[in-house]
Amino acid sequence: MAFDAIFQPIEIGKLTIRNRVVSTAHAEVYATDGGMTTDRYVKYYEEKAKGGCGLCICGGSSVVSIDSPQGWWSSVNLATDRIIPHFQNLADAVHKHGGKIMIQITHMGRRSRWDGYDWSTLLSPSGIREPVHRSTCKTIEEEEIWRIIGDFAQAARRAKEGGLDGVELSAVHQHLIDQFWSPRVNKREDQWGGSFENRMRFGMEVLKAVRAEVGDDFVVGMRICGDEFHPDGLSHDDMKQIAAYYDATGQVDFFGVVGSGCDTHNTLANVIPNMSYPPEPFLHLAAGIKEVVSVPVIHAQNIKDPNQAQRILEGGYVDLVGMTRAHIADPHLIAKIKMGQVDQIKQCVGANYCIDRQYQGLDVLCIQNAATSREYMGLPHIIEKSEGPKRKVVVVGGGPGGMEAARVAAERGHEVTLFEAAEALGGQITIAAQAPQRDQIAGITRWYQLELARLNVDLRLGTRADEATLLDLRPDIVVLATGGHPFLEQDPQWGYSENPEESLVVSTWDILSGKVAPGKNVLIYDTICEFAGLSAADYLADKGAKVEIVTDDIKPGAAVGGTTFPTYYRSLYEKEVIMSSDLLLHKVYREGDGLVAVLENEYTGALEERVVDQVVVENGVRPDEGLYYALKEQSRNKGQVDLEALYAIQPQPCLSEAGDGFLLFRLGDCTAPRNTHAAIYDALRICKDF
Amino acid sequence: MLETLLPILIFAALGLAVIGAWRRVRLWRQGRPSAVPLLKGLAAMPRRYLVDLHHVVGRDKVMSNTHVATAGGFVAAAVLMILVHGLGLAQGVLGWLLLAASATMFVGSLFVARRRRNPPARLSKGPWMRLPKSLMAFSLSVFAITLPAVGLLPADFGHWLLALLLAAVVVWGLGEMVFGMTWGGPMKHAFAGALHLAFHRRAERFGEGNRSTGLKALDLDDEAAPLGVEKPADFTWNQLLGFDACVQCGRCEAVCPAFAAGQPLNPKKLIQDMVVGLAGGSDANYAGSPYPGKPVGEHHGTPHGPIVAREGKALVDAETLWSCTTCRACVEECPMMIEHVDAIVDMRRHLTLERGQTPNKGAEVLDNLIATDNPGGFDPGARLHWAADLNLPLMADVKQAEVLLWLGDGAFDMRNQRTLRALVKVLRAAEVEFAVLGNEERDSGDVARRLGDEATFQSLAKRNIATLAQYRFQRIVTCDPHSFHVLGNEYGELGGQYEVRHHSTFIAELFEAGRLAFAPWKGGNVTYHDPCYLGRYNGEYEAPRNVLKALGIEVKEMERSGFRSRCCGGGGGAPITDIPGERRIPDMRMNDVKETGAELVAVGCPQCTAMLEGVVDATAEVRDIAELVADALVARPAAGATHRPQAEEVI
Repeated sequence: MAFDAIFQPIEIGKLTIRNRVVSTAHAEVYATDGGMTTDRYVKYYEEKAKGGCGLCICGGSSVVSIDSPQGWWSSVNLATDRIIPHFQNLADAVHKHGGKIMIQITHMGRRSRWDGYDWSTLLSPSGIREPVHRSTCKTIEEEEIWRIIGDFAQAARRAKEGGLDGVELSAVHQHLIDQFWSPRVNKREDQWGGSFENRMRFGMEVLKAVRAEVGDDFVVGMRICGDEFHPDGLSHDDMKQIAAYYDATGQVDFFGVVGSGCDTHNTLANVIPNMSYPPEPFLHLAAGIKEVVSVPVIHAQNIKDPNQAQRILEGGYVDLVGMTRAHIADPHLIAKIKMGQVDQIKQCVGANYCIDRQYQGLDVLCIQNAATSREYMGLPHIIEKSEGPKRKVVVVGGGPGGMEAARVAAERGHEVTLFEAAEALGGQITIAAQAPQRDQIAGITRWYQLELARLNVDLRLGTRADEATLLDLRPDIVVLATGGHPFLEQDPQWGYSENPEESLVVSTWDILSGKVAPGKNVLIYDTICEFAGLSAADYLADKGAKVEIVTDDIKPGAAVGGTTFPTYYRSLYEKEVIMSSDLLLHKVYREGDGLVAVLENEYTGALEERVVDQVVVENGVRPDEGLYYALKEQSRNKGQVDLEALYAIQPQPCLSEAGDGFLLFRLGDCTAPRNTHAAIYDALRICKDF
Repeated sequence: MLETLLPILIFAALGLAVIGAWRRVRLWRQGRPSAVPLLKGLAAMPRRYLVDLHHVVGRDKVMSNTHVATAGGFVAAAVLMILVHGLGLAQGVLGWLLLAASATMFVGSLFVARRRRNPPARLSKGPWMRLPKSLMAFSLSVFAITLPAVGLLPADFGHWLLALLLAAVVVWGLGEMVFGMTWGGPMKHAFAGALHLAFHRRAERFGEGNRSTGLKALDLDDEAAPLGVEKPADFTWNQLLGFDACVQCGRCEAVCPAFAAGQPLNPKKLIQDMVVGLAGGSDANYAGSPYPGKPVGEHHGTPHGPIVAREGKALVDAETLWSCTTCRACVEECPMMIEHVDAIVDMRRHLTLERGQTPNKGAEVLDNLIATDNPGGFDPGARLHWAADLNLPLMADVKQAEVLLWLGDGAFDMRNQRTLRALVKVLRAAEVEFAVLGNEERDSGDVARRLGDEATFQSLAKRNIATLAQYRFQRIVTCDPHSFHVLGNEYGELGGQYEVRHHSTFIAELFEAGRLAFAPWKGGNVTYHDPCYLGRYNGEYEAPRNVLKALGIEVKEMERSGFRSRCCGGGGGAPITDIPGERRIPDMRMNDVKETGAELVAVGCPQCTAMLEGVVDATAEVRDIAELVADALVARPAAGATHRPQAEEVI
């Protein structure tokens, strides 16, 4: 049977898990009201259970103690009995669908922030500062150690009383337990530091206290690191020793293994490998731990595809695979495998929009699936066929917004035509995918291509739609998702001209799409600081250009998230790209064969010049509004969206009003430049009621 | 002159017929013994003919009336002719009756002639083309010679030449109708057919509502008995007799899915090849449709020679035998009650048990069954993996239950797991007390048996019977018609007697009892495909339709439905032996579906689901009845909300 390794049940402790796929712990940032799980939280996990996921471990970094701040990431608060009834809702919702649910519990020690909420004093074994969160802390005292051990036990009790199936003790990501383990952070000379046994003591006391509190019929696992990747940190051999040491107690029911430590920006990027990483880059570390323990081992990190999961499980490297981002992209992953619809799985592309939002304290969302974590609002993962009239829907623009609009309208049962001026679908995704290590972003388009073909959407590629063509089709609804163009005309001093012969600057799109050949000596001016500038720099350097990337912001790529800018930086530094900040592009002029870019220091006003042969400007997108204004007055709704209905996820009232002519909606960058998720979200919430 | 000649002709013909009959009986007697009660059979024969056989023939009213007139007229005319012209008992009413009988026969023969004018492809030609003329010759000549006997014509009417001519026609008629009956002419069917009905190997199939479809067990302990049929003489004598009864009407050919798919099988030709084999000779004189792709005249056989050659050609090629899906459409249609499927499986048994020549994936599947007790070779401990989140009660734990849910090997198939989960959901909604055998269950043995591996079948069956014997339950319910058939109809001979229900039957009963309530149907047009092993094998045509009706579905029937349903191509191990043809059986079946305009075809068999879902570019979705029911479930007003920790999803 295909995928039989995935669908083999397994016992963890005394708990049977129906398959080998786990949604591993991550911070959802959905627990509010002092860390109580919300309806949103419950529905998010219920959807995964409904979709067939075997085990959900929720609540990444859920706190057990009052002095481990909960508010920054809206994580779950297990420091109070108030949580118990909330857990009952969560457990019921998941159990109803045959899934199992556990929660990760932790004290984050120094890995947090102190400058808000209760203004907690952060704790760590030796009071050493944590760089990623810029957090300082005090050296923990014996009394505090014993209090926190007790807090762990009480938190586990609350999880059990709430009907959850188990707890996962976080000894990973440099939380308090592994802060004690790591000689990099633990410099103590008392019974809690120094020798191996002493460094192990805190975690061991936590384990013993938790087990004593919950007994044998409740799962207690540990999530550990496979190698901290720091010369002064814990190596893989150290971790094997630690895992074997805890396993020997017979009190641990499973180990979850994460490759890499994460107390620096660079190691953090390893923990949630983005699209620049190969598949399952750290599986060998988890397999190493499996060699020395007697209980099931779970491993996540870049396992996104059912075939990959099957291969890993069949090979016996680990016992369960974490497919966490894979489930954020498609919570019905397992059901689709079972339905023989593997091609319909929306596969995670590793854009890390989810985790990069989380590190900013924002709710976790998926770049390509706008329904994820919005289940509670009634946004559907499975679009039901409309029972209303069959409509003729015309979508203009084959970028993410247009593709989603066409998909949703077609799923509703309408007759859908999609115009795209380029020869292929994808819009800006196609351009973004040209950069080194960014090709996997095209996976978003690949899924839509398959879906639009399956749904028999009439694709008119290579066709620029104009007013006459559109009206000839006598549409009931026109959706404009025409995007925009690089905004180079904003500052006349940059010397942009529509005539390529005369223009002094080119766009990142020109470079990435191959429309303009790479220069030899290139200055990139990036005032946006998102992906396009860094991608263009990486692309040009990859083609052999000498590149300097300049921004007036605080650093190039300042708006790129915490798990993604490090992988750009690795590549750019390696290729000797110069990164300069605090400089505005004042003016560009031609001098002989070359170009002179005049830069102005943001803070001093001082001017400096660069002599180059190519100036690339990244100044974001200017909406293409022409078609919208050509159609607006003729449309029944004058192109207007009812915001009350939109935000309440209700049908647009104009859909049920009778009248002649067509309705007009626009979404994505042709309204205002935003991002992929924004375009897809708008498309879903407008089109789901067509 | 005729008065002198006729008794001589009649008794000469009768005498020759008796000699022919004796010779024919000797041919049949080459077969192995079969314990059928001879006198009881003969006594039952008229009823079997007049009721059971005519029930089949009566499906074609014109042909049925034609046969009543022709055959009835002939039997009456023949008897009366012996009395009137053979024994000279012309006085009184007998002569008039003879006139009436021969006139009736003549009218019948006109219709026979009409059918032969543009005969459908399924009818054999050859000697059968002259039969209407012979029937007319007999009836007309008997009529003519009887006119003087009743005084309608003077006794010396006409010239001696006319008398001679008439005598010649009488000879023709007697030759075909009496001499030919036992010497191999078309009329042989009347002689062999009547005896075949009397000595049929499945006496239990006769009588109102009776059916007998289970394969008969091979006595593996009898060292003298051959393992299956290698040569014609390995059939039992009454099987050989049965073959000889064939009228070559080709109704079997017309419904055979393998024949339609261009696979090298034609049930009619197969039976005729057996007739060739029992007498010895070649198939050169066969005048019907050949096996697709196999020219006539290249095969030959003898009663004691192999049917399938080890090298080269003999009576039939192995691929002909492996093309059969065991759908029983031929048996269902056969007006002579011939048992084609029994014969095919008998010959397969030899190929598999004696020669180890099960083709393509056959050997692998049988090896799997031997090693893992399931045809897919899956880990036997994985049979319940699909239900890890359902907490199904195990018989080993509960020891007794109202219903034993038999999973079948669909438990290893991801598609069928959805059906099983749907069925579990339905059973729970109706609060049925059920349990499963879980990993104690083994394959029912259906595939092994149909592939000819009787030993593996019996091994599986005996172990399943032993397992079942440990537990108490009222009935077995299964969503697999193959398991249903084997457990219900074939385990009995090995000591396992159970009340078995197909899930559609059980669901229909639950609905009738008010234990299920459904939301109104909102989908599109639906048709229903009758699984062979549910319909023709077990006569269950109504329950699935009743369930669909209960769901609010008005079934758009396919032209071939009910007892005439076309096989999906999945039975008898056919997908395993996979004999190539010109097209695929499931494609043809999905085309039948398409013709109804249905967007969904409801099925009740894992095999049918797999075959029909395998059709590329199908226009209809394939769903098991259990899935449709599970989708439509709504809480019954009376039922309280019961908290269950099991998965709700059927996926």
